[in-house]
Order: sequence, then structure tokens, then C-alpha cells
Amino acid sequence: MGYGILSYGAYVPPIRLKREAVLDAVGWAVPGVRSLAAGERSVASWDEDSITMAVEAARNCLKNSSEVPSSITLASTTFPFADRSNSGVVADALNLPLQTQTEDVFGSRRAGTSALVRNFQGNTNTLLLASDCRETKPGSTQEMQYGHGAAGLLLGEGDTLADIISVESVHEDLIDQYRTVEAKYDYALEERWVREEGWLKIVPGAIKSALQKANLGMEDVDKMIVHGSVGAARSLLKKLGADTKKLTNSLQSDVGDCGCAHPLLMLSDALTKATTGQYFLIIGFGQGSDVILLKINDKISQSKPYQGVDIHLNNKRVVENYTLYLSLRNHIDIDFGLRSERDNRTALSAYYRKRREISAMLGGRCGKCKTLQFPRSLLCVKCGTDEPQEEESLSGLIGRVKSFTEDWLAYTPFPPYIYGNVEFEGGANMMLEFTDFKAGDVRVGDEVRMVFRVKDYDNKRKFRRYFWKPSPLLKDV
Amino acid sequence: MATGIKDKVAIIGMGCTQFGERWDCGPEELMVEAFGEALADAKIDRNEIEMAWLGLFFQEQSAGKSALPLSISLKLPNIPVTRVENMCATGTEALRGAVYAVAAGACDIALAVGVEKLKDTGYPGLPERSKGTFDDLWLPNGTAPGAFAQLATAYSAKHKCDMGDLKRAMAHVSVKSHANGALNPKAHLRKEITEDQAINAPMISAPLGLYDCCGVSDGAACAIVTSVEKAKEMGFKDLVTVKAMQLAPSNGLEMSNSAWDGSYLLTTRIAAERAYKEAGITDPWKELDMTEVHDCFSITELVVMEDLQLCEEGGAVSAILDGAFDRDGDVPCQVDGGLKCFGHPIGASGLRMAYEIYLQLHGRAGDRQLDNPSMGLTHNLGGHPFRNVASVSVLGLHN
Repeated sequence: MGYGILSYGAYVPPIRLKREAVLDAVGWAVPGVRSLAAGERSVASWDEDSITMAVEAARNCLKNSSEVPSSITLASTTFPFADRSNSGVVADALNLPLQTQTEDVFGSRRAGTSALVRNFQGNTNTLLLASDCRETKPGSTQEMQYGHGAAGLLLGEGDTLADIISVESVHEDLIDQYRTVEAKYDYALEERWVREEGWLKIVPGAIKSALQKANLGMEDVDKMIVHGSVGAARSLLKKLGADTKKLTNSLQSDVGDCGCAHPLLMLSDALTKATTGQYFLIIGFGQGSDVILLKINDKISQSKPYQGVDIHLNNKRVVENYTLYLSLRNHIDIDFGLRSERDNRTALSAYYRKRREISAMLGGRCGKCKTLQFPRSLLCVKCGTDEPQEEESLSGLIGRVKSFTEDWLAYTPFPPYIYGNVEFEGGANMMLEFTDFKAGDVRVGDEVRMVFRVKDYDNKRKFRRYFWKPSPLLKDV
Repeated sequence: MATGIKDKVAIIGMGCTQFGERWDCGPEELMVEAFGEALADAKIDRNEIEMAWLGLFFQEQSAGKSALPLSISLKLPNIPVTRVENMCATGTEALRGAVYAVAAGACDIALAVGVEKLKDTGYPGLPERSKGTFDDLWLPNGTAPGAFAQLATAYSAKHKCDMGDLKRAMAHVSVKSHANGALNPKAHLRKEITEDQAINAPMISAPLGLYDCCGVSDGAACAIVTSVEKAKEMGFKDLVTVKAMQLAPSNGLEMSNSAWDGSYLLTTRIAAERAYKEAGITDPWKELDMTEVHDCFSITELVVMEDLQLCEEGGAVSAILDGAFDRDGDVPCQVDGGLKCFGHPIGASGLRMAYEIYLQLHGRAGDRQLDNPSMGLTHNLGGHPFRNVASVSVLGLHN
């Protein structure tokens, strides 16, 4: 019985910045970015980060599997917390059992692929998530090339979509780019040097070794998922004597390079088009290389269209306002007035008492009258009984808008502040802050789906708190 | 067997400051100003007051916590002072404390003072505040207009009332209050406005525009109360007595159960029902000569007309547009300009409503005097439609 991918998922934030808008704004200073000014890149909204994007990718992944992971590995180079288990926040949001092992891996663009290499011949159900939200300097090529996103794989034994056949990993301290802990942005070196000395010298050997372990040759490989620039990827395939048509969609034109999440994001896209018996090679790059060889199984024909990146590619809000993008990502400090000075200190002992209500949106269902309610309480809001309420998460429910407002007075980084009363099946009712809607979008009676987002930032204490928000339903592909 | 508060307590003196942006005054000066007027009105010595209640909401921004701000400001002779707070219904709570103390026989003469100094925050609108350690974790950081605006979206959806028609009725509410406020020398906003101005004003929280929102003001109001017997002993004639004082706070149902549809104020309906029973009112439309309701926003006044049974459910838009609650209508509402134009210094507002009814019943309301009113209602609401405290009182001439 093989070990491999039981299901997969992805997430791309709905905000897409038109690259032409970047050129319009910064072209006066850096006309060279003109050649990159096509398509769109994904941008995490003000209330998204590597944790929230990972949660969405995980939900997308787990939706199509009945298996429950016994461990979570979260890879990122942009964790919001340097000391607080980021994967633990994700596990809580997913309402996974407390016994779920959690692990944060970081420090490299290969963090995602390296975790996949390490899971070769594993034997437990592991949810491997990779999520990155790299900030880029205004006017830089990275600003044009990067995107924000996340992807996830549920790995395990059994009825797999694809098996991991062999892996290879080499390390070589060729510093093509780096970001020190005190730096906000990446520092990148000349691409031609990286291609000649890195891609064409380090990677071919690793690929050869991985194929040899499986007694296969380049000709057996059907698809190549290469995490690098399109130029680097094409040069690599030419060097290997392979047809460049084997390269899968780089997602460069619609999304951009999502850091350590990108190889898995590309994989999720490629898997939706995969057919039984194909061999996939995944190549991670950065101070060395990871190579993972996959064989696609029969099960792939049964995988659901909801999976992967497709649905997110179609759910987008194109932004052409460059200063809006700069503000959402905190590159400029718009004067939002005195109301934005509110102190958002979190009483962490109060949070701890209510952590599951907040993280997993756990409500209670009355033991007597069966009314669902949030917050869960000792006395039923409907019938008043003190019979214990059964825990029940509202995060997966579809809500219905009963009332709402577009508030131009309240502070939010992306006005107007939209909030309203949302009704759920079972009689529950909640006043909630909405996200991803713009003015004029919401109507009474609309259906909404809940997403895990940053609720407030405490800039004084460098803390952020999370909660669930109603967002638009995802439009089907 | 409890018999209720009806006709047990009389108001013998009232005072109210000029409301507005009182840059020259702190809470201390405001309290002294209102108290001076009430004392002169009651014609008593300050040392005759035996107990006092202070209503103040945003203590952090103004006078601070406890009984001390009142005791120290008025240099009271160390009598018992209790500070009460029930959000925007705070003023009525102060009055309720004083009225109940007199009714209980704990003292002969009691004082209620409500005060708020809002204009030291540095920005327009109400101050930002924490909702509590747990609620801050999940409730939106909304504003008062945002919370009340949702009455309009839910009302419009429930009654299939076109938003344009609803906006026009809301505009009528504000146009009427501005016209009334213009006649009131103590009012914060004294300019008349037109329906077009109201409808086309800048949006604050959709669908509420600038003129759908009440003023944020500094001010204080106060009342001196005694028992009916004592008042007679003291030689007062034409007594204004308390006919009912009821309070209904939310118990969590509106905010967490879909039984509430968001289009009305559940607690106002409950408090009104109880107040009518306590006052012996069976037909409020006929028996009430005037109302001072909590018109923090135009839509609030609109739905409250239904919640107080002054018109049918779903009928407020046409009743308002027909002028039923105008100064020359059947049951005039906000003759003094209301929260909208008299202003809304939170802790003082409930007492300011009582002040207007007291003046009207005594025939001392100047240019805005109604024709021989004998009974009026105050409705004072604290909090947001989905969780609030509603206070309904009835004051009338003693017969």
C-alpha cells in the first residue's frame, strides 16, 4: 500500500492587483518593470496572513476527505508569530482534536517541499500546509512577481490520488536571494547567475538521482512542477533534454509566486488535470533543491472539481488602485483618524477560557430545546434550561444576512466597515463583521460562508487576534 | 401586593443646562448649572435634600467613577449618593433611583442628576470603548449609527418597504425635530432643515445619513422629587407625578437567537406594555398627549412609534408622513427637538426628556407650548437594537 496524497487543497486571496496599475504608479522610477506588467497578482487583504490562508487551504483540502489528520505541518517563511505555535492556531481553527501533533517549519522557500521529502514513506495521516505572504518593496520586481497564497496536502496511506515514489534533496549555499530576520523584504541577486550556477548545475543531479531510485528516466516523466522563474524552468528542461510542454502552469499570470506555498499550489492545479498513470516531478529550489516524484493513481478520476486552486482563481476582486494595495499591506500609513487609535489589548486569560469558541467558532446546542446558540452558555437563551449544551462549530454553516450596514464612521483598514446580523440553521443568530464584500454588495437574505480572519491588530503589543467573518459564497468554477 | 409607582411621587423642581458643545464647561460646571435651576424651581434649601443619584455613562472621558463627582461638585452635605449607569438610559435610571427612594419612605426629598461631557474626546461621535474582555474577541467594532442603521435594512426587508419611502419618512422625522429644536433656546441644533437636505446628506452608516443622526452634546439635567403628601404639605399645587417607570433589558435573545428579526425593539415593547399597565393606560394614542422618545437616529423614532403602540406594525412610515407625530399632530413627539436637536449628553438625556414633559404639563414651555397636555411619556434606550436596556416612564398631572 502506497503512501501519498489523499486529498489536496489550495487558497488564493480574492484581491488581485493589476500589474499594469503597479507600472502606472512606479514606472516613472523603475521603467524596467514594464516587461512584467501583465496579468494580476494575488494580495492578502488586511485581515489575512499565513495562518488564515493556511486555514482556508486546509478546509479546501479536508472537505474532500473523510480522514482526520493526526498531525499538521505548517510551512511558511512569513509566520505571524515567531514564538507561538502557528500550526496550533490552524489546528484550533479546524477544530481538530487536542492530541493532533503540530509543527511549524520555516527558514526556506523549500520549507514546503522539504516537508514533503521528509514525509516520504510516512505512515500517519499528515496535513501538510504551506502558506506565504511575502511583502515586497514598492517598485521592485518582486512586487510584480510575488503573490500570496496557500496550499495543502493530506498525506497518508490507503486510497491515494498519487503516491510518492521517490525523493531527493541536496543543499548548496548558493544565495540567490535572502531575507534576514530583521528585514522586511527579500534581497535578490542577478537571475542569470542563479540560472547558470544554480538551476543548471545543482538541480539536474538531484533529478537524476530521484529518477534512478525509481528506475525511471526523464522520458517517463509526464509533468514537471518547477518552482522558479519561467526562464529558469525552461532552461532546466532544455538542459535535461525534456519537452518544455511538460511544464505545468506556473500561475504567474493570475497569482504570482507564493513562496514556499507555490510548488504545492502549482501541484494542486496540475492534479486537477492529471490522468491515471502519469508521473509528476516536483522541484523546489533555494540553497539547494528538493525533488519529489509522484505517480498518479486511478483515484484521481474521482476527485471533485471543488478541489484545488481553480475555484479561487475564479473568485476575485481586481484592484487597480495601487495606494489601496500599499495601505492594505501596511506600506503606507493612511490617516484613518482618531478612531483608529483604539487600544485592542487582548485579555489572554479571557481568550484562553473562550479559545475554542473563538478559534473554532464553537457554539452550543441546547440539550433540551436543541436551539443552537453562540456564545455557548450555561443557560439556554431560548428555554432557560441549565442542561449542558453540546459543542457545535458554526464555522462550516452557511449563514443568511438578516440586517447589515455599511459604516463609514467606524474604523477599518478597508472602508466601509460592513457588519450585520447573520442567522444560522438551528436558530443561532450573530452580529458579525463581514469581509471581502465591498459597498453595495450585500443584500438582506444573502447567503454567506464563514472564513477565519484577523479580527484586530494590537499594534502596541504586536499581537493579533482572529475570529470568523461572513464572506461571499465561492462561485462555482 | 405591590401597587406600582403611580401617583406616589411628585417632581417639585427641575433644571436643565443649555446642551451643545460646551467647550467652556466640564461636568462639574454643567451639574452646578442644572442643579441651580432645579433648586430655584423647587424653592427649597439645598440642605433639605436627603439622598441623591448621579447618572453618568462615559466616566473615563469626563468626571470619573463613583458618587464623588456629584457630591464634590455640588458640595452636598455628605448625604448618600449613588452613581448609576445603564448606557444611554442612564438619566432615567438616576430618576428611578430617587423616585423609588421617596416611594419607599427612605427619605422625603431626593435628587437625580444626569450629566455627560462628551466633547473632550477630540473627535465627533461617541467615544470608542471596550465591550468587555470576551465580546471584544468576536463582536464587530461597530458604531451606534451602524447598529441602528440595521433597523432600517431589516425593517425595509420585513415590511417590503421601499428604501426610498423609508428614507423619506426618516427625513420627515428629522425635519420635524429640527423645526421643534429651532423653537427651543436650550437646544444644541437650532436650524431648520429640508427633506432634500436630510435625504441627500453625506452617508454615515448606510442607510443613515448625517441628518438621521442625533447630536453629540455636553449637558446636564436634574430633578428634585418628593412624596405626593410631602409636596402638598410644602404647598405645591398642580403636581406633576410619576405614573409609571419601567425598565426592560435584553437577556441575550435578540443577539443570539433568530426569534428576533432585527426590525423592532423587543425591550421597548415589553417596557411599554408594563408602563401602560402601571399607569392604567389602555389606549396610548388617546391618553398620551406627547412623547419624548429615544430618537438617537431617525429610524429609531420610526420603529419606536410602533413599539409604543402609537401606530400599527408596518404603519409608521405613513403615520409619520401624515404628520401624526409633528408638533401639531395627534401625539407630538420630540417637541423640544429630541436627542436629534436638543442634543444627547448621554447621562442627562432621560432627565431632559422628563424636563420637557414637566415644563409642558406646567405650561412653561414657551414658544413650543402644547395645548393643555396632561400626560406624557419618556422612552430612554441604552445600547444597540440587538442588546439594550429600554426605559419607559409616564408623567402626568396629579388629579
